[in-house]
Amino acid sequence: MVNPAWSWQFDPRVLKHVDALPLPARITREWAWEGADGAGVRVAIVDSGVEDGHPQVGRVNGAVAIEFDPEKDAAPRLVEGPHEDLFGHGTACAGVIRKLAPACEIHSIRVLGAGLSAHEDAFVTGLRWAIEQRFDVVNLSLGTSAQRYYSVFHELADLAYFNRVALVAAMANVTGPCFPGQYASVVSVAAREGEDPFSFLANPRPPVEFGAPGINVEVPWKDGGRIRATGNSFAAPHVSGLVALILSKHPGLTPFELKAILRSTAANAA
Amino acid sequence: MTTEGSDPLLDRVARLANELGPALAPASHIELLEAITAAAKELFGAAACSLALLSEDGTELVFHVATGEGASDVLGVRMPSDQGVAGWVVSSGQPIAIEDLANDQRFAREVAETTGYVPTSILAMPLETERGRLGVISVLDRSNERGSDMDVLALFARQAALAIESGRVFADLGAALFGALAGASDDDELSELLERTSAESRGSQRRLGEIAATLNELAEAGPGERDLALDVLRRFLKYSRSRW
Repeated sequence: MVNPAWSWQFDPRVLKHVDALPLPARITREWAWEGADGAGVRVAIVDSGVEDGHPQVGRVNGAVAIEFDPEKDAAPRLVEGPHEDLFGHGTACAGVIRKLAPACEIHSIRVLGAGLSAHEDAFVTGLRWAIEQRFDVVNLSLGTSAQRYYSVFHELADLAYFNRVALVAAMANVTGPCFPGQYASVVSVAAREGEDPFSFLANPRPPVEFGAPGINVEVPWKDGGRIRATGNSFAAPHVSGLVALILSKHPGLTPFELKAILRSTAANAA
Repeated sequence: MTTEGSDPLLDRVARLANELGPALAPASHIELLEAITAAAKELFGAAACSLALLSEDGTELVFHVATGEGASDVLGVRMPSDQGVAGWVVSSGQPIAIEDLANDQRFAREVAETTGYVPTSILAMPLETERGRLGVISVLDRSNERGSDMDVLALFARQAALAIESGRVFADLGAALFGALAGASDDDELSELLERTSAESRGSQRRLGEIAATLNELAEAGPGERDLALDVLRRFLKYSRSRW
C-alpha cells in the first residue's frame, strides 16, 4: 500500500477533531446534500480528456482541448468538440465524480498531451477558460511545482474565488510546492485510506485541508477499462463530487461557504 | 553556424566549449543511472526498475536504463509520450501507483509485445529538476510494499534526474556556459547575444560516438589551433569582464 504525500495526516492516530461552525443549529450532512444528485451543476475536469460513454462516466456534456501548433511558436488554441482521453486519468476523475453526483454535467478540458514543454501553458489556458465559462466546480487532479508559475496560478485562483468557481485541487503526491493546490482559496485534497466516497476528513493543519479516498481505489480508465490506483489525484474528485451535490441543493454558494460546509460535515468534525 | 548578427568569436568559443565538455565529465552518467535503478530495484524487492527519458522533441519516451525482468528487451524501446501510464506520469508530473495492471488487457498486451514481461503492479515517478521534466522512473512488482514507497522513489528519481542533467551539462558545456553568462549579465544586448549563440551552439554531440569523433578532431588540430582556441577564450573572458 502506497501513501501519497500528506495522506499520513489523515491517519486516525494522527488526525485531531476540527470544530464545526458554532451556529445556532448544526450544519448536517442531511441539510448539506441529502436528496441531491448533482442536477444543474456544471463540473469541469481539467486533465487528460474524459472518455465519452464510458460505463462509469456516461455522457460528457462538453469538451475542449488545448492544442499547440508544433510548427509555430504560437499561443495555445482552444479546440471545441469531442476528444478522447489520452491516458485514462481524466476518465478516472470523471468516474469518481459521477459516482457521487450522478446527474451533474461533466465537461472535459484537456490540457495534457499537447506537448510536454508547453504543459503548464496549456494548463493555464485551460484553467483560465474554465473560470471564464463560470463552471460551478473545476476538478484539478494535477498541478505544477515550477516556481515561475506561482503568480499566474495565484491570479487564477483569486479570479475563480471571486467568480464563484470552486477549484478543487489534488496536492502533489510527493512533498513539495504544488500550484494551485497550496493556495488558501483552493479546496486542497490528499488521499486517505478507505473506499466510502462520503468518508472525507478535514485537516486542521495546512496546507492540505481535506482527505478523501485515493489509496488503492478502483477507478474507470481508458477504453472502457477499470484499474486500482493510488494518488492524491483520485482523492480530489471525491470532494469535487461532494461539492457538486452541495451546490445542486444550495445553488450559488461561494467557495468560502462551501469550505465551511465541508469542514462542518467532515467525518472528524465534532 | 554563423547567423546574422552573431559574433564569430562567440561562435568559436561556444563550439570549443561544447566539444571539450564531454571530455571533462568524471564518469558516464549511464553508469550512475544503472547504479540508481539497481539500488531502487533492490530496496523495493522489485522485479524490475527502468528509466525512460523524453526524446529531444518531447514526443517519445525512450528506455535508456533497465534492470531486472525484461530489461534487455526494453532497452532502446521508444513509445509515444502522450500514451500509457508512463505518458501520464511525464505529462502530469505526478507519480502514480497501479496495483492490478494484469487485469487491464490492453496494457498487458502492449507491454508483453515490447518487453515479454507483464507486471502486476507499477509505481512510476516523474524525473524532473527545477529546470524541466526529463522522463520517468518505473518500479515493477514490488515485494516489500510500504506506505512510504512514493516518497522513497521520489528520492531515487531526484538523484537520477540530477545525474541526467549533469551528464547533459557536460555534453552541452558551451551552451551551459553561455546560458550562465547570459543569466549573470545585466546587459540586455550581451545577454540576448549569448543566449542566441548558446542555442545555436547546441550540436548533436550527445551521442558517445560523435563525442569521440569530435575529440579526435581536436587532437589532430595541432598546436596552432589549440593556441588560437585559448586566445579566443581569453579574449572572450576579457571582453565579458569588461561588460559586467
